[in-house]
Amino acid sequence: MLTKKDLEKLADLSRMKIEEGEEEKLLHDLGGVLAHFEELKELPTDDVEPMNGGTSSLNVWRNDETTGALDGEAAKKEFPETKDGYLKVPAVFDASAD
Amino acid sequence: MMNVNELTIKEFHSGLTEKKFSAKEATGEFLKAIDAKDGEIGAYLSIFGEEALAAASVVDEKIASGDGISEIAGVPMALKDNMLVKGMKTTAASKMLENYVASYDATVVRKLKDANAVLLGKANMDEFAMGSSTEYSAFKKTKNPYDLSRVPGGSSGGSAAAVAAGLAMAALGSDTSGSICLPASFCGIVGLRPTYGAVSRSGLIAMASSLDQIGPMAKTVEDAEILFRHFAGKDALDSTTVNHVYGAGEHLDDARGLKIGLPKEFFVSGLSREVEEGLEFAVQKFKKLGIEFREIELPHAKYALSCYYIIMPAEVSSNLARFDGVRYQGVAGMRNEAKSLSDLYLATRGTGFGPEPRRRILLGTFVLSAGYYDAYYAKAQKVRRLIKNDFDEAFKNVDAIMAPVAPAPAFRFGEKISDPMAMYLSDIFTTQTNLAGIPALAVPIKQYSLGGGELPVGFQLIGNRFEENRLFALGKLYEKN
Repeated sequence: MLTKKDLEKLADLSRMKIEEGEEEKLLHDLGGVLAHFEELKELPTDDVEPMNGGTSSLNVWRNDETTGALDGEAAKKEFPETKDGYLKVPAVFDASAD
Repeated sequence: MMNVNELTIKEFHSGLTEKKFSAKEATGEFLKAIDAKDGEIGAYLSIFGEEALAAASVVDEKIASGDGISEIAGVPMALKDNMLVKGMKTTAASKMLENYVASYDATVVRKLKDANAVLLGKANMDEFAMGSSTEYSAFKKTKNPYDLSRVPGGSSGGSAAAVAAGLAMAALGSDTSGSICLPASFCGIVGLRPTYGAVSRSGLIAMASSLDQIGPMAKTVEDAEILFRHFAGKDALDSTTVNHVYGAGEHLDDARGLKIGLPKEFFVSGLSREVEEGLEFAVQKFKKLGIEFREIELPHAKYALSCYYIIMPAEVSSNLARFDGVRYQGVAGMRNEAKSLSDLYLATRGTGFGPEPRRRILLGTFVLSAGYYDAYYAKAQKVRRLIKNDFDEAFKNVDAIMAPVAPAPAFRFGEKISDPMAMYLSDIFTTQTNLAGIPALAVPIKQYSLGGGELPVGFQLIGNRFEENRLFALGKLYEKN
């Protein structure tokens, strides 16, 4: 059973703030879905090879050449903030907490 | 001028080359219809008015100068709003991308443009393609043209409603689990979820990459086939695409004598009367056309939903990590308030994602987290193999499989929105094909007419990998008789 503490941990790992009033509903919803997964336990799968993609392709090779590069100006326009043509982000480290 | 809104691609192409109307006139008619009716239906999130008319004029100039045109030239189409069109807003129906303008064309979009198709605008969808009713769009509700109190299905609900209401001649949808077949069935149109690897996803906003495919949504099987042939194929920008040559397609006469399997697990209790009777009607019709039916078994089919709701959220939690407020024009106002990068992530993601992406991101993070990975994610990958093996076994004995698309016709607004598990159960017959990576074609039981008082029901034909041609042949045999 998922606890409130588990949910806080998941929200932190997901870097997604969840609101105070939202927690109960989320716990209820996720609990319902996780309960449904219990049916998988009855299925023996020890010798089954996992299927980890939708394709049967193995390795895909290509020549090591630059092709079809993205239009840099158009991409930069979508940055919320730029400085001197570079993407600008808030400080990663808190300078005051030395 | 004849009513172009009712034409199929095939009929439109004939009319256009016989100069019964111009491409620009036709696009104008569609824009007029959107203007008049989309306020009520809500199929579109954005309209490319001027660009569409300009693209149509290019087709008219080609015709005037005697140049050959493609079979989809001038065809007015809707695109699900998770496909990138350079210079145009692409929102995935999320507040997270409310102001995002695409900086390149998706490969499917480039191919449509190269063939001179006319893009009318972007269609509504469930946020990030997560949902079965289009109710999870952050921006608007799309109504089912057959009954405005009901949902069009999802997640490609805007695309389906646009085609059904005559607001687009055809559309593109995307499908991770039933997101093409379900809305096609609810809106009485045709939809194809292609083989995994058949169509490039470059420029499709990713949801679950081992499952996502782009496919056509159209009025007829014939139209869906025409469209599919224009955008299927290997693409250097999506390394999962396969270089498969589909050839000329199978003749209708080849379809007679094929064997169709009916999975006994899909014809159990719980089907609504409309679906049960519809499927029975379709089986009898196929039998009269010389198709043989056999009962088959898909013993692991019942585990597909659990398997899917582990694998998909796991991939969602990773794919949606890129929406962090740094790279795209995200949620307005977040930048000024955030004091640190981590603040920015928390606030942007906390505000930008609606309820369904939130649930799936948290669920995906859970099934991938230390201590739970083996019990959930690793287990689900093994179950996925068992589901695929079932199909491999079945296709040794039958040429195609027929199944319901959903247990019932379109449901009412609000009926399932408060209970995620009830919504997820809409996927109960469509999840298997996505997990196995095989194609499924949704075909309406019969021709429905808007205002006829009946809710459409469809069936799906499932084929082995890269056997779309066989599905098209069977579907055409059905709709032409």
